[in-house]
Amino acid sequence: MKVLAFHPEKCTGCQLCALACSGQNEDQFNPRLARLRIASEYNDQGINVEGHTCDLGMSCVEACPTGAIFLKNNRLAYDQEKCTYCGLCIDICPNKVIVRKKDSIGVCVQCMACVKWCPNEALTIEEVSN
Amino acid sequence: MSYQGKVLRIDLSTGKAEAEDLNEQWARAYLGGKGLALKYLYEELETGINPLSSDNKLILMTGPLTGTIVPNSGKLAIAAKSPATGTVLDCSIGGSIASEIKYAGYDAIIVEGASKLPVYICIEDDRVSFCSAKNVWGKGAHETEHMLSEKYNQAKALVIGQAGENKVPMSCINTDLYRQAGRGGIGAVMGSKNLKAIVVKGTGSVRVPDTRKFMVAMNKYKREDTLTDSNLWASEDGTSMLVDLANNTGTLPTRNFQKSTFEGHTNINASSIKEQLKAKKACFACPLACGNYVNFGCTEVEGPEYETLALCGSNCEIDDLEAVVEFNRLCDDYGLDTISTGNTVAFAMELAEKGVHDFGLQFGSVESYLKAPGLIALQQDEGKELSKGVKYLSEKYGGKEYAMQSKGLEFPGYEPRGSWAMSLAYATSDRGACHMRAWPIGEEAYGSLDPFTIENKAKLVKNQQDEYAFKFSAIFCSFWALSADVQADILTKALGYEVTVSDLYKIGERICNLARLFNQNEGFSGKDDVLPDRLFEDELLDAELNRGPLPRSEFLKMLKEYYDIRGWDEEGCIPEKLIADLGL
Repeated sequence: MKVLAFHPEKCTGCQLCALACSGQNEDQFNPRLARLRIASEYNDQGINVEGHTCDLGMSCVEACPTGAIFLKNNRLAYDQEKCTYCGLCIDICPNKVIVRKKDSIGVCVQCMACVKWCPNEALTIEEVSN
Repeated sequence: MSYQGKVLRIDLSTGKAEAEDLNEQWARAYLGGKGLALKYLYEELETGINPLSSDNKLILMTGPLTGTIVPNSGKLAIAAKSPATGTVLDCSIGGSIASEIKYAGYDAIIVEGASKLPVYICIEDDRVSFCSAKNVWGKGAHETEHMLSEKYNQAKALVIGQAGENKVPMSCINTDLYRQAGRGGIGAVMGSKNLKAIVVKGTGSVRVPDTRKFMVAMNKYKREDTLTDSNLWASEDGTSMLVDLANNTGTLPTRNFQKSTFEGHTNINASSIKEQLKAKKACFACPLACGNYVNFGCTEVEGPEYETLALCGSNCEIDDLEAVVEFNRLCDDYGLDTISTGNTVAFAMELAEKGVHDFGLQFGSVESYLKAPGLIALQQDEGKELSKGVKYLSEKYGGKEYAMQSKGLEFPGYEPRGSWAMSLAYATSDRGACHMRAWPIGEEAYGSLDPFTIENKAKLVKNQQDEYAFKFSAIFCSFWALSADVQADILTKALGYEVTVSDLYKIGERICNLARLFNQNEGFSGKDDVLPDRLFEDELLDAELNRGPLPRSEFLKMLKEYYDIRGWDEEGCIPEKLIADLGL
């Protein structure tokens, strides 16, 4: 199974990954609509780079009461018709990378837009054991 | 299309905030950014107002590409009448604030009036709050931004330091700690309005006509046009790479422009900075990431940029990188423009050297140098006088011939005697001596054109001014050297209607003339397109360069040619017919 991996030492905080995710999946641009969260910001200790991506930890799949989120071909899939929009998946996701929308949610389906857009190879897709 | 179609107008005198429709006709004629900000300013400001009064307006203008995935589209234009020069003023600031304004639903924010008490404004989509700034007033820009970002999670802020609060004419506006709208005292405009910060958080979005197609095209541009040899200097070294280039071409301002090479340049060049580099930092949507975060343990900064290394390093004959970094950090935190501050400190150093007046500053002396930003920003002791800049100081104490300014704005880091067209760029820049209106040195001393001739230079400067004007209106960062064709294609794809290269050049010309007209109405004309005598009378003191002054007759010839190409009269004024033709 493959998962997204974030390499903070390579990240410059440009947000092109999050812009690409929101453009690809939501047809509009704002990093807040992305299914990953990356930040490179100054705090009083210097610079702080943080990244959160879907690690396929399956807590959303396990939590979903209606089976609206499920695994298909080793990627997450989502069936809006089954979704009751209870928000449990959003709450339980340890990485906080599920997007809340008006009448649906958005999970990372490994579309790879973020990987394609990252200018620094700070995001990669890597094989992990199931 | 990628405009939001709304302008948020905030009146600090009345506490009113209202959204209004963006003037679409103006948006077509001026795009956004610099151009559209200047159009609003031109139409809305009364002639002759005091820039530090409540009559001045602060205009934050995004562009049609802001908030999209277009590479290098993350900058914001900020405009007002300049407290330093009395001219029109627009600055450009990076970081991530511009896209937040767009996501909050606005193309622009216009701040009018003045608050009775210190305040900051918080904009979260359509909610605008006026908040007491009593907890942050008097604090540095860095602490202020830390406090605000802690309070408003995921919001971005424009802030001023103490210099802006004290209406220092060389004060800047900061964001993301180390990104500045630096020149012309734009920070003092905020300070005069009793406005410490503008916090913005936007949960909306920006749309383009066909997102998928748009993304494919933009990713191709990113790979094949942005991340290419002509731009990679920005990610490799950033602007500090210019230190060696300037020194080697004899254009590095040294000892208040007495020399143009600096013995200690290797201590403050790109490789010295690299030794202290801790991380690279990008502005929003920028694949190049020119920001260098350096940390010496006891001091840190994102930078220093070339202008700081030149004006606050070689020009003050300081070759101690740690001292320059600390000076840079102090300026950023107090909210001072490093170009004007470094230039003014160097001028005071020469006044002392020549025995004209002693401000306690000497070339090469670190201790007093590091005290200057604090004294200037806090208006203490000698700082009160120094804060008024070199034009004022030279008129009061002497040294006009070596006060390196034009229209009251201090020179940036390029010696015109080593690249003659820079003299024309400085003299005709709309906001006073500036390298961001035209940068012909890139073609001359750093490029393949003969730097010691005026032949074809008037045209070069005119074209560059027009090109910069539309590029900063789109808005693209200047560090992506993209062609007008690529800009036109990107704008067409984002807007959904055709923008041609010839449209862009027309827009650029219109903007440059509008800025000139603003200044003309304020009483500026050719008599103000002047430069200090040093350039025309003094040889550079670097013995090995053997370089004489720039012949004044050549400068005047180039200036006249420039007026002719622009279609201006002999006094450098815009004739009525041209004003009408350009639809100003």
